[in-house]
Amino acid sequence: MKLGNVSNVDFTPLRGRVEPGSTIIAVGGGKGGVGKSFVSSSLSIFLAHLGYDTLAIDLDLGGANLHTSLGAPLSNVGINEFILNPDLEFSDLIQPTSWPKLKLISGSSDVVDIANIDELQRSRVMSAIFRHKADFTILDLSAGTHHSTVDFFLMAQHKVTVITPDPSSIENAYRFLKAAFFRKLRRYEHQLQLKSQIDELLNNKAQHGIKNPSDLIRVLVDREPVLGLKLRNILGALNYEIVLNQARTRQEMELGYSLQSVCNKYFGFPCDFLGSLEYDNAVWQSLRQRNHLLQANRQSHLYGQLMGMARKLVKSHQLKAVV
Amino acid sequence: MAERSGNQTYYELLEIPQSAGPMDIYNAYQRARKTYSPSSPALYSMFSPEEASQLMSLIEEAYQTLSHQGRRKEYDQKIGLGATPTPPKPAKSNESPGKNKADDAWVGQVRTVPKRDELPKGFARTRYSVYEVKPDLESEIQEAQEMDGPFLQKIRLYKGVKIEQICDELRMTKTSLVALESNDLDALPVPVFTRGFIVGIARVLGLDGKKTADAYMKFFKANKK
Repeated sequence: MKLGNVSNVDFTPLRGRVEPGSTIIAVGGGKGGVGKSFVSSSLSIFLAHLGYDTLAIDLDLGGANLHTSLGAPLSNVGINEFILNPDLEFSDLIQPTSWPKLKLISGSSDVVDIANIDELQRSRVMSAIFRHKADFTILDLSAGTHHSTVDFFLMAQHKVTVITPDPSSIENAYRFLKAAFFRKLRRYEHQLQLKSQIDELLNNKAQHGIKNPSDLIRVLVDREPVLGLKLRNILGALNYEIVLNQARTRQEMELGYSLQSVCNKYFGFPCDFLGSLEYDNAVWQSLRQRNHLLQANRQSHLYGQLMGMARKLVKSHQLKAVV
Repeated sequence: MAERSGNQTYYELLEIPQSAGPMDIYNAYQRARKTYSPSSPALYSMFSPEEASQLMSLIEEAYQTLSHQGRRKEYDQKIGLGATPTPPKPAKSNESPGKNKADDAWVGQVRTVPKRDELPKGFARTRYSVYEVKPDLESEIQEAQEMDGPFLQKIRLYKGVKIEQICDELRMTKTSLVALESNDLDALPVPVFTRGFIVGIARVLGLDGKKTADAYMKFFKANKK
Protein backbone atom coordinates (compact mmCIF):
# COMPACT_ATOMS: atom_id res chain seq x y z
CA MET A 1 0.00 0.00 0.00
CA LYS A 2 1.26 3.44 -0.88
CA LEU A 3 2.25 5.60 2.02
CA GLY A 4 1.67 9.33 1.55
CA ASN A 5 3.05 12.29 3.42
CA VAL A 6 0.82 14.64 5.35
CA SER A 7 2.58 17.68 3.96
CA ASN A 8 1.51 16.68 0.44
CA VAL A 9 -2.16 16.42 1.33
CA ASP A 10 -4.42 19.06 -0.14
CA PHE A 11 -6.78 20.07 2.65
CA THR A 12 -9.31 21.82 0.41
CA PRO A 13 -11.21 18.77 -0.88
CA LEU A 14 -11.34 17.33 2.64
CA ARG A 15 -13.24 20.33 3.91
CA GLY A 16 -15.97 20.05 1.35
CA ARG A 17 -16.78 23.76 1.62
CA VAL A 18 -15.06 27.10 1.99
CA GLU A 19 -14.10 27.81 5.57
CA PRO A 20 -14.28 31.35 6.99
CA GLY A 21 -10.98 33.05 7.82
CA SER A 22 -11.91 33.31 11.48
CA THR A 23 -14.42 32.13 14.04
CA ILE A 24 -17.26 34.61 13.61
CA ILE A 25 -19.38 35.55 16.63
CA ALA A 26 -22.48 37.65 15.93
CA VAL A 27 -24.11 39.46 18.84
CA GLY A 28 -27.74 40.38 18.19
CA GLY A 29 -30.85 40.69 20.27
CA GLY A 30 -33.76 42.29 18.49
CA LYS A 31 -34.25 45.14 20.96
CA GLY A 32 -32.14 48.25 21.43
CA GLY A 33 -30.48 49.02 24.77
CA VAL A 34 -30.15 45.42 25.96
CA GLY A 35 -26.37 45.57 25.99
CA LYS A 36 -25.34 44.16 22.61
CA SER A 37 -22.44 46.59 22.25
CA PHE A 38 -21.37 46.02 25.86
CA VAL A 39 -21.37 42.22 25.39
CA SER A 40 -19.60 42.46 22.00
CA SER A 41 -16.92 44.80 23.30
CA SER A 42 -16.40 42.75 26.48
CA LEU A 43 -16.14 39.45 24.62
CA SER A 44 -13.71 41.05 22.16
CA ILE A 45 -11.52 42.29 24.99
CA PHE A 46 -11.50 38.94 26.78
CA LEU A 47 -10.73 36.99 23.62
CA ALA A 48 -7.86 39.38 22.95
CA HIS A 49 -6.76 38.90 26.59
CA LEU A 50 -6.78 35.15 26.06
CA GLY A 51 -4.23 35.67 23.30
CA TYR A 52 -6.38 35.58 20.16
CA ASP A 53 -6.21 38.01 17.28
CA THR A 54 -9.64 39.54 17.45
CA LEU A 55 -11.45 41.99 15.20
CA ALA A 56 -14.58 43.76 16.46
CA ILE A 57 -16.84 45.12 13.72
CA ASP A 58 -19.65 47.57 14.34
CA LEU A 59 -22.47 46.47 12.06
CA ASP A 60 -25.09 48.60 13.79
CA LEU A 61 -25.32 50.63 10.59
CA GLY A 62 -26.78 54.02 11.34
CA GLY A 63 -26.57 53.57 15.11
CA ALA A 64 -22.95 52.66 15.64
CA ASN A 65 -21.45 52.96 19.12
CA LEU A 66 -19.04 50.07 19.56
CA HIS A 67 -16.09 52.51 19.43
CA THR A 68 -17.57 54.31 22.46
CA SER A 69 -17.91 51.05 24.38
CA LEU A 70 -14.25 50.29 23.63
CA GLY A 71 -13.14 53.82 24.49
CA ALA A 72 -11.74 54.27 20.96
CA PRO A 73 -11.63 57.68 19.24
CA LEU A 74 -13.96 58.62 16.40
CA SER A 75 -12.67 57.43 13.04
CA ASN A 76 -13.13 58.89 9.58
CA VAL A 77 -12.83 55.53 7.87
CA GLY A 78 -15.11 52.71 8.89
CA ILE A 79 -17.65 50.22 7.64
CA ASN A 80 -19.81 53.07 6.23
CA GLU A 81 -17.03 54.20 3.88
CA PHE A 82 -16.39 50.60 2.84
CA ILE A 83 -20.03 50.24 1.84
CA LEU A 84 -20.07 53.48 -0.14
CA ASN A 85 -16.64 53.25 -1.75
CA PRO A 86 -16.09 50.08 -3.84
CA ASP A 87 -12.36 50.80 -4.18
CA LEU A 88 -11.70 50.71 -0.45
CA GLU A 89 -10.01 47.57 0.94
CA PHE A 90 -11.31 45.93 4.13
CA SER A 91 -7.85 46.05 5.69
CA ASP A 92 -7.80 49.88 5.30
CA LEU A 93 -10.64 50.18 7.81
CA ILE A 94 -8.95 48.45 10.71
CA GLN A 95 -7.97 50.68 13.61
CA PRO A 96 -6.00 49.75 16.73
CA THR A 97 -7.43 49.80 20.26
CA SER A 98 -5.93 49.94 23.77
CA TRP A 99 -5.58 46.15 23.64
CA PRO A 100 -2.74 44.98 21.37
CA LYS A 101 -4.53 41.89 20.05
CA LEU A 102 -7.85 43.67 19.51
CA LYS A 103 -8.61 45.63 16.34
CA LEU A 104 -11.73 47.59 15.53
CA ILE A 105 -13.72 48.50 12.46
CA SER A 106 -16.05 51.21 13.61
CA GLY A 107 -19.10 52.78 12.05
CA SER A 108 -18.57 56.11 13.71
CA SER A 109 -18.62 58.42 10.67
CA ASP A 110 -21.80 60.35 9.90
CA VAL A 111 -23.32 58.97 6.73
CA VAL A 112 -27.02 59.53 6.26
CA ASP A 113 -29.16 56.60 5.07
CA ILE A 114 -26.39 54.03 5.63
CA ALA A 115 -28.76 51.69 7.47
CA ASN A 116 -30.57 50.87 4.21
CA ILE A 117 -27.94 48.99 2.26
CA ASP A 118 -28.87 46.90 -0.78
CA GLU A 119 -28.16 43.23 -1.33
CA LEU A 120 -25.01 43.81 -3.34
CA GLN A 121 -23.48 46.01 -0.68
CA ARG A 122 -24.51 43.50 1.99
CA SER A 123 -22.89 40.59 0.22
CA ARG A 124 -19.69 42.60 -0.34
CA VAL A 125 -19.47 43.29 3.41
CA MET A 126 -20.27 39.67 4.26
CA SER A 127 -17.70 38.35 1.83
CA ALA A 128 -15.01 40.68 3.25
CA ILE A 129 -15.83 39.56 6.81
CA PHE A 130 -15.82 35.92 5.74
CA ARG A 131 -12.39 36.20 4.11
CA HIS A 132 -10.75 38.25 6.89
CA LYS A 133 -8.03 36.23 8.59
CA ALA A 134 -7.98 36.38 12.40
CA ASP A 135 -8.76 34.07 15.32
CA PHE A 136 -12.11 35.70 16.13
CA THR A 137 -14.34 38.27 14.45
CA ILE A 138 -17.07 39.79 16.62
CA LEU A 139 -20.04 41.39 14.87
CA ASP A 140 -22.02 43.94 16.87
CA LEU A 141 -25.44 43.95 15.21
CA SER A 142 -28.26 46.48 15.21
CA ALA A 143 -31.67 46.07 16.80
CA GLY A 144 -34.65 44.93 14.74
CA THR A 145 -35.14 42.19 12.17
CA HIS A 146 -33.90 43.93 9.03
CA HIS A 147 -32.63 41.49 6.39
CA SER A 148 -29.07 42.83 6.71
CA THR A 149 -29.05 42.27 10.46
CA VAL A 150 -30.47 38.76 10.15
CA ASP A 151 -28.04 37.84 7.36
CA PHE A 152 -25.04 39.05 9.36
CA PHE A 153 -26.37 37.02 12.30
CA LEU A 154 -26.79 33.89 10.20
CA MET A 155 -23.29 34.04 8.71
CA ALA A 156 -21.68 33.55 12.14
CA GLN A 157 -20.70 30.24 13.68
CA HIS A 158 -21.73 31.56 17.10
CA LYS A 159 -25.10 33.28 17.07
CA VAL A 160 -25.29 35.06 20.40
CA THR A 161 -28.56 36.70 21.44
CA VAL A 162 -28.54 39.21 24.28
CA ILE A 163 -31.76 39.33 26.30
CA THR A 164 -32.70 41.26 29.43
CA PRO A 165 -35.42 40.03 31.82
CA ASP A 166 -37.90 42.68 30.56
CA PRO A 167 -40.90 41.22 28.71
CA SER A 168 -40.30 43.63 25.80
CA SER A 169 -36.73 42.41 25.40
CA ILE A 170 -37.80 38.77 25.61
CA GLU A 171 -40.51 39.34 23.02
CA ASN A 172 -38.19 41.16 20.62
CA ALA A 173 -35.44 38.58 21.06
CA TYR A 174 -37.84 35.75 20.26
CA ARG A 175 -39.07 37.66 17.22
CA PHE A 176 -35.47 38.11 16.10
CA LEU A 177 -34.73 34.39 16.50
CA LYS A 178 -37.90 33.48 14.61
CA ALA A 179 -36.92 35.88 11.81
CA ALA A 180 -33.50 34.22 11.59
CA PHE A 181 -35.08 30.76 11.54
CA PHE A 182 -37.47 31.58 8.71
CA ARG A 183 -34.80 33.47 6.75
CA LYS A 184 -32.66 30.33 6.79
CA LEU A 185 -35.65 28.11 6.02
CA ARG A 186 -36.55 30.26 3.01
CA ARG A 187 -32.97 30.15 1.79
CA TYR A 188 -32.83 26.36 1.71
CA GLU A 189 -36.39 25.46 0.72
CA HIS A 190 -35.61 26.36 -2.92
CA GLN A 191 -32.39 24.35 -2.95
CA LEU A 192 -34.13 21.29 -1.52
CA GLN A 193 -37.24 21.79 -3.67
CA LEU A 194 -39.48 21.90 -0.62
CA LYS A 195 -41.00 25.33 -1.20
CA SER A 196 -44.44 24.15 -2.31
CA GLN A 197 -44.64 21.64 0.55
CA ILE A 198 -43.61 24.22 3.16
CA ASP A 199 -46.00 26.84 1.75
CA GLU A 200 -48.83 24.35 1.86
CA LEU A 201 -48.04 23.41 5.47
CA LEU A 202 -47.75 27.03 6.58
CA ASN A 203 -51.03 27.97 4.88
CA ASN A 204 -52.87 25.13 6.63
CA LYS A 205 -51.18 25.16 10.02
CA ALA A 206 -54.28 24.27 12.02
CA GLN A 207 -55.15 21.36 9.76
CA HIS A 208 -51.67 19.85 10.17
CA GLY A 209 -51.40 20.67 13.90
CA ILE A 210 -48.46 23.02 13.35
CA LYS A 211 -48.00 25.50 16.16
CA ASN A 212 -44.30 26.24 15.94
CA PRO A 213 -41.20 25.62 13.78
CA SER A 214 -40.52 22.35 15.59
CA ASP A 215 -43.94 21.00 14.51
CA LEU A 216 -43.39 22.26 10.97
CA ILE A 217 -40.13 20.35 10.55
CA ARG A 218 -41.60 17.23 12.17
CA VAL A 219 -44.54 17.16 9.77
CA LEU A 220 -42.20 17.87 6.86
CA VAL A 221 -39.94 14.94 7.82
CA ASP A 222 -43.01 12.67 7.96
CA ARG A 223 -43.94 13.70 4.43
CA GLU A 224 -40.51 13.95 2.82
CA PRO A 225 -38.14 11.87 4.95
CA VAL A 226 -34.91 12.36 3.04
CA LEU A 227 -35.17 16.07 2.16
CA GLY A 228 -36.93 16.85 5.43
CA LEU A 229 -34.07 15.30 7.42
CA LYS A 230 -31.58 17.25 5.34
CA LEU A 231 -33.42 20.48 6.05
CA ARG A 232 -33.66 19.61 9.74
CA ASN A 233 -29.91 19.03 9.92
CA ILE A 234 -29.27 22.38 8.22
CA LEU A 235 -31.59 24.24 10.56
CA GLY A 236 -30.23 22.34 13.57
CA ALA A 237 -26.87 24.02 12.92
CA LEU A 238 -28.45 27.35 13.89
CA ASN A 239 -27.71 26.52 17.54
CA TYR A 240 -28.59 29.88 19.11
CA GLU A 241 -26.60 30.96 22.16
CA ILE A 242 -28.36 33.06 24.79
CA VAL A 243 -26.85 35.66 27.11
CA LEU A 244 -29.04 37.05 29.88
CA ASN A 245 -27.97 40.61 30.65
CA GLN A 246 -28.86 43.01 33.48
CA ALA A 247 -30.12 40.33 35.88
CA ARG A 248 -30.95 41.93 39.22
CA THR A 249 -32.08 38.93 41.30
CA ARG A 250 -31.27 35.25 41.60
CA GLN A 251 -34.56 34.39 39.87
CA GLU A 252 -33.61 36.62 36.96
CA MET A 253 -30.17 35.00 36.75
CA GLU A 254 -31.89 31.63 36.34
CA LEU A 255 -34.30 32.92 33.71
CA GLY A 256 -31.65 32.15 31.08
CA TYR A 257 -32.23 28.40 31.53
CA SER A 258 -35.95 28.91 31.00
CA LEU A 259 -35.32 30.92 27.83
CA GLN A 260 -33.04 28.15 26.59
CA SER A 261 -35.63 25.48 27.32
CA VAL A 262 -38.43 27.42 25.60
CA CYS A 263 -36.23 27.95 22.51
CA ASN A 264 -35.29 24.24 22.47
CA LYS A 265 -38.92 23.20 22.46
CA TYR A 266 -40.16 25.93 20.14
CA PHE A 267 -37.52 25.58 17.42
CA GLY A 268 -36.85 21.87 17.88
CA PHE A 269 -33.06 22.11 17.96
CA PRO A 270 -30.70 22.58 20.88
CA CYS A 271 -29.92 26.14 21.96
CA ASP A 272 -27.22 27.02 24.48
CA PHE A 273 -27.25 29.30 27.48
CA LEU A 274 -23.90 31.08 27.61
CA GLY A 275 -24.52 32.66 31.00
CA SER A 276 -26.03 35.53 32.97
CA LEU A 277 -24.57 38.98 33.56
CA GLU A 278 -25.52 40.88 36.68
CA TYR A 279 -26.84 44.41 36.54
CA ASP A 280 -23.98 46.65 37.60
CA ASN A 281 -24.04 50.45 37.92
CA ALA A 282 -20.34 50.41 37.13
CA VAL A 283 -21.22 49.73 33.48
CA TRP A 284 -22.91 53.05 32.82
CA GLN A 285 -20.51 54.87 35.12
CA SER A 286 -17.49 53.65 33.15
CA LEU A 287 -19.28 54.38 29.85
CA ARG A 288 -19.76 58.00 30.92
CA GLN A 289 -16.03 58.19 31.49
CA ARG A 290 -15.56 56.82 27.92
CA ASN A 291 -13.80 53.84 29.39
CA HIS A 292 -14.59 50.15 29.30
CA LEU A 293 -15.75 48.50 32.52
CA LEU A 294 -12.97 45.93 32.27
CA GLN A 295 -10.40 48.72 32.44
CA ALA A 296 -12.22 50.99 34.86
CA ASN A 297 -13.59 48.47 37.35
CA ARG A 298 -11.88 45.11 37.51
CA GLN A 299 -13.51 44.26 40.84
CA SER A 300 -16.93 43.98 39.21
CA HIS A 301 -18.63 40.58 39.30
CA LEU A 302 -19.09 40.98 35.58
CA TYR A 303 -15.39 40.40 35.09
CA GLY A 304 -15.62 36.72 36.01
CA GLN A 305 -18.97 36.23 34.30
CA LEU A 306 -17.72 37.64 31.00
CA MET A 307 -14.46 35.72 31.21
CA GLY A 308 -16.50 32.51 31.65
CA MET A 309 -18.50 33.31 28.52
CA ALA A 310 -15.41 34.06 26.46
CA ARG A 311 -13.86 30.76 27.50
CA LYS A 312 -17.03 28.90 26.55
CA LEU A 313 -16.84 30.38 23.07
CA VAL A 314 -13.31 29.12 22.62
CA LYS A 315 -13.18 25.43 21.80
CA SER A 316 -11.15 23.47 24.28
CA HIS A 317 -8.40 22.60 21.81
CA GLN A 318 -8.04 26.29 20.94
CA LEU A 319 -7.37 27.34 24.54
CA LYS A 320 -3.98 28.89 25.08
CA ALA A 321 -1.93 29.26 28.22
CA VAL A 322 -2.08 32.89 29.33
CA VAL A 323 0.53 34.27 31.70
CA MET B 1 -52.16 12.16 24.81
CA ALA B 2 -51.50 15.86 24.38
CA GLU B 3 -50.69 17.09 20.90
CA ARG B 4 -47.69 19.07 21.97
CA SER B 5 -45.63 16.01 22.83
CA GLY B 6 -44.86 15.42 19.14
CA ASN B 7 -42.45 12.53 19.05
CA GLN B 8 -40.34 13.60 21.98
CA THR B 9 -39.35 11.14 24.64
CA TYR B 10 -39.66 11.91 28.33
CA TYR B 11 -35.90 12.45 28.43
CA GLU B 12 -36.15 15.07 25.70
CA LEU B 13 -39.09 16.72 27.42
CA LEU B 14 -37.06 17.15 30.60
CA GLU B 15 -33.93 17.93 28.54
CA ILE B 16 -31.77 15.34 30.27
CA PRO B 17 -29.54 12.58 28.89
CA GLN B 18 -30.80 9.02 29.00
CA SER B 19 -28.14 8.23 31.60
CA ALA B 20 -29.40 10.92 34.00
CA GLY B 21 -29.49 9.99 37.67
CA PRO B 22 -32.36 10.71 40.10
CA MET B 23 -30.92 14.06 41.22
CA ASP B 24 -30.55 15.25 37.60
CA ILE B 25 -34.14 14.23 36.92
CA TYR B 26 -35.38 16.05 40.01
CA ASN B 27 -33.45 19.23 39.18
CA ALA B 28 -34.61 19.16 35.55
CA TYR B 29 -38.20 18.71 36.72
CA GLN B 30 -37.97 21.67 39.12
CA ARG B 31 -36.47 23.83 36.39
CA ALA B 32 -39.16 22.78 33.89
CA ARG B 33 -41.91 23.56 36.43
CA LYS B 34 -40.52 27.05 36.82
CA THR B 35 -40.20 27.52 33.07
CA TYR B 36 -43.69 26.35 32.10
CA SER B 37 -45.62 27.78 35.04
CA PRO B 38 -48.30 30.28 33.90
CA SER B 39 -46.40 33.23 35.40
CA SER B 40 -43.09 32.43 33.67
CA PRO B 41 -41.80 35.41 31.63
CA ALA B 42 -39.86 33.03 29.36
CA LEU B 43 -43.06 31.81 27.69
CA TYR B 44 -44.14 35.22 26.56
CA SER B 45 -45.10 35.24 22.85
CA MET B 46 -43.83 31.66 22.28
CA PHE B 47 -46.37 29.38 23.97
CA SER B 48 -49.96 30.23 24.82
CA PRO B 49 -51.18 29.46 28.38
CA GLU B 50 -53.03 26.39 27.02
CA GLU B 51 -49.93 25.09 25.26
CA ALA B 52 -47.86 25.71 28.40
CA SER B 53 -50.35 23.81 30.54
CA GLN B 54 -50.29 20.89 28.07
CA LEU B 55 -46.51 20.90 28.25
CA MET B 56 -46.66 21.08 32.03
CA SER B 57 -48.89 18.02 32.28
CA LEU B 58 -46.51 16.10 30.01
CA ILE B 59 -43.59 17.18 32.14
CA GLU B 60 -45.41 15.94 35.27
CA GLU B 61 -46.07 12.67 33.49
CA ALA B 62 -42.42 12.42 32.45
CA TYR B 63 -41.24 13.06 36.00
CA GLN B 64 -43.64 10.53 37.49
CA THR B 65 -42.29 7.88 35.14
CA LEU B 66 -38.58 8.64 35.20
CA SER B 67 -38.34 9.25 38.94
CA HIS B 68 -39.54 5.73 39.67
CA GLN B 69 -37.04 2.99 38.96
CA GLY B 70 -39.56 0.34 37.91
CA ARG B 71 -41.63 2.62 35.70
CA ARG B 72 -38.51 4.07 34.15
CA LYS B 73 -37.21 0.61 33.28
CA GLU B 74 -40.51 -0.30 31.71
CA TYR B 75 -40.62 2.96 29.78
CA ASP B 76 -37.03 2.51 28.54
CA GLN B 77 -37.96 -0.89 27.20
CA LYS B 78 -41.00 0.54 25.44
CA ILE B 79 -39.01 3.19 23.63
CA GLY B 80 -36.28 0.72 22.74
CA LEU B 81 -33.52 1.84 25.08
CA GLY B 82 -31.10 -0.53 26.76
CA ALA B 83 -30.92 -1.04 30.49
CA THR B 84 -31.16 2.14 32.56
CA PRO B 85 -28.25 2.72 34.95
CA THR B 86 -29.29 1.75 38.45
CA PRO B 87 -29.77 4.90 40.50
CA PRO B 88 -27.72 5.06 43.70
CA LYS B 89 -30.69 6.16 45.83
CA PRO B 90 -34.43 6.54 45.37
CA ALA B 91 -35.71 9.74 43.76
CA LYS B 92 -37.59 12.39 45.72
CA SER B 93 -40.91 11.59 44.11
CA ASN B 94 -42.77 12.83 47.21
CA GLU B 95 -41.58 16.39 46.63
CA SER B 96 -43.76 17.00 43.61
CA PRO B 97 -47.18 18.22 44.65
CA GLY B 98 -50.47 16.57 43.78
CA LYS B 99 -49.09 13.17 42.86
CA ASN B 100 -50.42 9.72 43.51
CA LYS B 101 -47.61 7.97 45.31
CA ALA B 102 -48.96 4.49 44.78
CA ASP B 103 -46.46 2.52 42.72
CA ASP B 104 -48.96 0.95 40.41
CA ALA B 105 -51.06 4.07 39.81
CA TRP B 106 -49.07 5.17 36.82
CA VAL B 107 -48.21 1.86 35.28
CA GLY B 108 -51.20 1.87 33.01
CA GLN B 109 -50.44 5.40 31.84
CA VAL B 110 -46.94 4.80 30.55
CA ARG B 111 -47.00 6.27 27.11
CA THR B 112 -45.45 4.47 24.21
CA VAL B 113 -43.46 7.21 22.55
CA PRO B 114 -41.73 6.33 19.32
CA LYS B 115 -37.99 6.73 19.47
CA ARG B 116 -37.15 10.21 18.29
CA ASP B 117 -36.73 10.79 14.57
CA GLU B 118 -37.27 7.28 13.36
CA LEU B 119 -35.39 7.04 10.13
CA PRO B 120 -36.89 6.06 6.81
CA LYS B 121 -36.10 2.56 5.59
CA GLY B 122 -32.63 2.21 4.13
CA PHE B 123 -31.11 4.94 6.32
CA ALA B 124 -28.99 4.73 9.44
CA ARG B 125 -27.34 7.24 11.72
CA THR B 126 -24.12 7.86 13.53
CA ARG B 127 -23.84 10.29 16.41
CA TYR B 128 -23.25 13.12 13.93
CA SER B 129 -25.00 12.17 10.70
CA VAL B 130 -27.74 10.36 8.87
CA TYR B 131 -26.63 8.32 5.85
CA GLU B 132 -28.06 6.00 3.23
CA VAL B 133 -27.08 2.38 3.87
CA LYS B 134 -25.16 0.79 0.98
CA PRO B 135 -25.21 -3.00 1.46
CA ASP B 136 -22.10 -3.69 -0.66
CA LEU B 137 -20.03 -1.19 1.35
CA GLU B 138 -21.43 -2.53 4.63
CA SER B 139 -20.38 -6.05 3.73
CA GLU B 140 -16.95 -4.78 2.63
CA ILE B 141 -16.55 -3.14 6.08
CA GLN B 142 -17.74 -6.29 7.85
CA GLU B 143 -15.35 -8.55 5.94
CA ALA B 144 -12.26 -6.30 6.10
CA GLN B 145 -9.46 -8.13 7.92
CA GLU B 146 -7.02 -5.27 7.43
CA MET B 147 -7.86 -1.57 7.26
CA ASP B 148 -5.65 1.31 6.19
CA GLY B 149 -6.13 5.08 6.41
CA PRO B 150 -7.87 5.61 3.05
CA PHE B 151 -10.31 2.81 3.89
CA LEU B 152 -11.19 4.54 7.17
CA GLN B 153 -11.60 7.78 5.23
CA LYS B 154 -13.91 5.99 2.79
CA ILE B 155 -16.06 4.81 5.72
CA ARG B 156 -16.08 8.30 7.23
CA LEU B 157 -17.18 9.90 3.96
CA TYR B 158 -19.79 7.18 3.40
CA LYS B 159 -21.24 7.90 6.83
CA GLY B 160 -21.11 11.66 6.28
CA VAL B 161 -19.02 12.48 9.35
CA LYS B 162 -16.76 15.53 9.10
CA ILE B 163 -13.11 15.57 10.09
CA GLU B 164 -13.80 18.45 12.49
CA GLN B 165 -16.48 16.45 14.30
CA ILE B 166 -14.09 13.56 14.97
CA CYS B 167 -11.34 15.98 16.03
CA ASP B 168 -13.69 17.75 18.46
CA GLU B 169 -14.99 14.50 19.88
CA LEU B 170 -11.59 12.86 20.38
CA ARG B 171 -9.66 16.06 21.20
CA MET B 172 -7.16 15.24 18.45
CA THR B 173 -5.67 17.59 15.89
CA LYS B 174 -6.81 17.74 12.29
CA THR B 175 -3.22 17.07 11.21
CA SER B 176 -3.16 13.74 13.06
CA LEU B 177 -6.42 12.65 11.48
CA VAL B 178 -5.30 13.69 8.00
CA ALA B 179 -2.02 11.85 8.58
CA LEU B 180 -3.95 8.77 9.62
CA GLU B 181 -6.23 8.90 6.61
CA SER B 182 -3.36 9.49 4.20
CA ASN B 183 -1.21 6.67 5.63
CA ASP B 184 1.49 9.06 6.82
CA LEU B 185 2.52 6.63 9.53
CA ASP B 186 5.60 8.62 10.57
CA ALA B 187 3.35 11.47 11.70
CA LEU B 188 1.31 9.17 13.95
CA PRO B 189 2.04 8.61 17.63
CA VAL B 190 3.31 5.36 19.18
CA PRO B 191 1.12 2.27 18.55
CA VAL B 192 -0.71 2.37 21.86
CA PHE B 193 -1.97 5.92 21.22
CA THR B 194 -2.72 5.23 17.57
CA ARG B 195 -4.81 2.27 18.65
CA GLY B 196 -6.64 4.55 21.08
CA PHE B 197 -7.39 6.95 18.21
CA ILE B 198 -8.74 4.15 16.06
CA VAL B 199 -11.02 2.89 18.84
CA GLY B 200 -12.35 6.44 19.27
CA ILE B 201 -12.83 6.96 15.54
CA ALA B 202 -14.63 3.61 15.28
CA ARG B 203 -16.95 4.67 18.08
CA VAL B 204 -17.81 7.93 16.31
CA LEU B 205 -18.39 6.06 13.04
CA GLY B 206 -20.55 3.44 14.72
CA LEU B 207 -18.10 0.57 14.13
CA ASP B 208 -16.87 -2.16 16.45
CA GLY B 209 -13.92 -0.55 18.25
CA LYS B 210 -11.90 -3.71 18.90
CA LYS B 211 -12.39 -5.21 15.46
CA THR B 212 -11.53 -1.95 13.70
CA ALA B 213 -8.49 -1.34 15.88
CA ASP B 214 -7.22 -4.91 15.30
CA ALA B 215 -7.68 -4.53 11.55
CA TYR B 216 -5.90 -1.16 11.44
CA MET B 217 -3.06 -2.19 13.76
CA LYS B 218 -2.36 -5.18 11.49
CA PHE B 219 -1.72 -2.70 8.67
CA PHE B 220 0.13 -0.28 10.97
CA LYS B 221 2.58 -2.86 12.28
CA ALA B 222 3.26 -4.27 8.82
CA ASN B 223 4.07 -0.88 7.32
CA LYS B 224 5.59 1.16 10.13
CA LYS B 225 9.35 1.35 9.79
